[in-house]
Amino acid sequence: MESFNTRRLSLYMRACLYFTACTLLTGGALYAQETGDMQIFGSMQSLFMYQDSQLRATFPDPAMDFKLSETRNSFALQQLDLFLSKEIDESFSAFIDLEFQLNYSSDKHWGSMSVQEAWLNYHYLDELSFKAGLLYPAFNHLNEIKNRLALMPYIYRPMVYERLLSERFFTEDFIPEHAFIQVSGSHATGPVFLDYAVFAGNAEGSYITKRNPDGSLSSDVNQKFEFLSGIDPTNLNLKLIGGRIGFRTRDEQWKAGISITHDYNNLRDTVRMPSEGLPPATRQLLGDDAERIRIGADVSMRCGDFWFEGELIKVTYDYEPAEKLDLHAEQGFAYGTLGYEFTPATTAYASLQWGDYFFGVDSDYFVYTVGGAWRLNQAITAKAQFLVYDELHENYTPDIQTIPAHKERVTITFTMLGLSILL
Amino acid sequence: MKHVFLILTICLFFCAAALPAQTVVIVNESVSTKSLSVKELLDVYTLNKSHWDDGSRITVFDLKGGKTKESFLSYLGMTEDELKRIWLRKQFTGKARPPRALTDEEEVLEAVARTPGAIGYISERTYKTTRNVRIIAKVK
Repeated sequence: MESFNTRRLSLYMRACLYFTACTLLTGGALYAQETGDMQIFGSMQSLFMYQDSQLRATFPDPAMDFKLSETRNSFALQQLDLFLSKEIDESFSAFIDLEFQLNYSSDKHWGSMSVQEAWLNYHYLDELSFKAGLLYPAFNHLNEIKNRLALMPYIYRPMVYERLLSERFFTEDFIPEHAFIQVSGSHATGPVFLDYAVFAGNAEGSYITKRNPDGSLSSDVNQKFEFLSGIDPTNLNLKLIGGRIGFRTRDEQWKAGISITHDYNNLRDTVRMPSEGLPPATRQLLGDDAERIRIGADVSMRCGDFWFEGELIKVTYDYEPAEKLDLHAEQGFAYGTLGYEFTPATTAYASLQWGDYFFGVDSDYFVYTVGGAWRLNQAITAKAQFLVYDELHENYTPDIQTIPAHKERVTITFTMLGLSILL
Repeated sequence: MKHVFLILTICLFFCAAALPAQTVVIVNESVSTKSLSVKELLDVYTLNKSHWDDGSRITVFDLKGGKTKESFLSYLGMTEDELKRIWLRKQFTGKARPPRALTDEEEVLEAVARTPGAIGYISERTYKTTRNVRIIAKVK
């Protein structure tokens, strides 16, 4: 016999299906710009990737030298985003971005599903809008569209924006991933728009407490707040504030700006280990909130059939223990992509990236990549990309004490084919 | 003489028919703005201007293709791909919705007539003064 709960669940599911079907049907029948209707749209990108990784370690004693290599290949649904947009009235609008990554299956523990954005916007004037909720703040060129893969020719985005590598490259050290309030606007003057945005949000995500599968805390700063997962449990001093000023031509072919944020880096985070490139003894002396300022500069332009986009991010710290230890307390990232449009539907590009990503260590990497995108129709774009990642540690000190400091070079090549689809 | 006059009249008629009709930008009568410069039109069609001066929301209509569209885009100094790229970015960041593209000019006229705050473009030939719309700009 069917239990009351099962029946209630079944009714609930039927109601949900009904609601979804009605929304889809009525949404499609109305005018795109009419107020009141909810629009549902999205994008997805699937890829085939071949990866060849090489690690060469060179010790003062050549007998200890070693080389490791690994190749692998995989198909994956890299990312699927569903967007819901509603113009509530003349001034208010709401927007939601649901993101699914890497063959998402909660059943198989693959990939992830997350709410990337969910905000309400109040438009007072073109010069003054207020946004509140979970949002991507205006920072440099790519931050606001970092998960909109259909808007980019890339399969793997510039490293600090590549969500599949965000744990490796400490994305949140370089860019403000989310904010909760933003005031922004643009003022037309002569041939350009002057843009500004000011935002505030929580401290970085590594302050959020997580639980391991065995129930223990995997991080973090204040264990008595672990029930507040997803909310910054620390005090107001650790909030993120930032902004961007810039200009763009009225036809949006040229755009440039400068961005800045102030927040803190959680150096006691045991999950991401922002200082893992440091010797363990040094690391133990760094267990604090490191005050951080990030400065960004961005430019993007289109000139005839050529296009260019580039960004620079400089991360500096005001952190006394690092100064006392004479550590390299700076991080940085820069990329520049030059592209050429053979036809409006076919583009090719070459890109150079540089990064210095460990806190306290001078750890440079370079990325060289070439690729192309071919738009088959308004909705489907085929992409190809070849990427070489090259990282050199002149003096790498591993956690295992029996292995002495040595020189380490990591070279990874990615060959990728992708299909990007607008839904 | 009569024949010459008839032939000339027929020639003139065909010449006039072959001339491209002027493109006009129309708005719903509810719009209080009296005129739009080419820069302001560009702002409307790049979705950078989302509200009229009285605060009401602008609803933009577009044509799917044809000579009228070509002349309008050339007036704005944009290509269709450039505009679509801008619309897509605005749509995917929640800043604006792309205009609805309609198949023929009659449809645009109808849609602008029944949508408060609407704007669209058609050839002057399609424009009828009896509708609930008025011309806000002429494409030169």
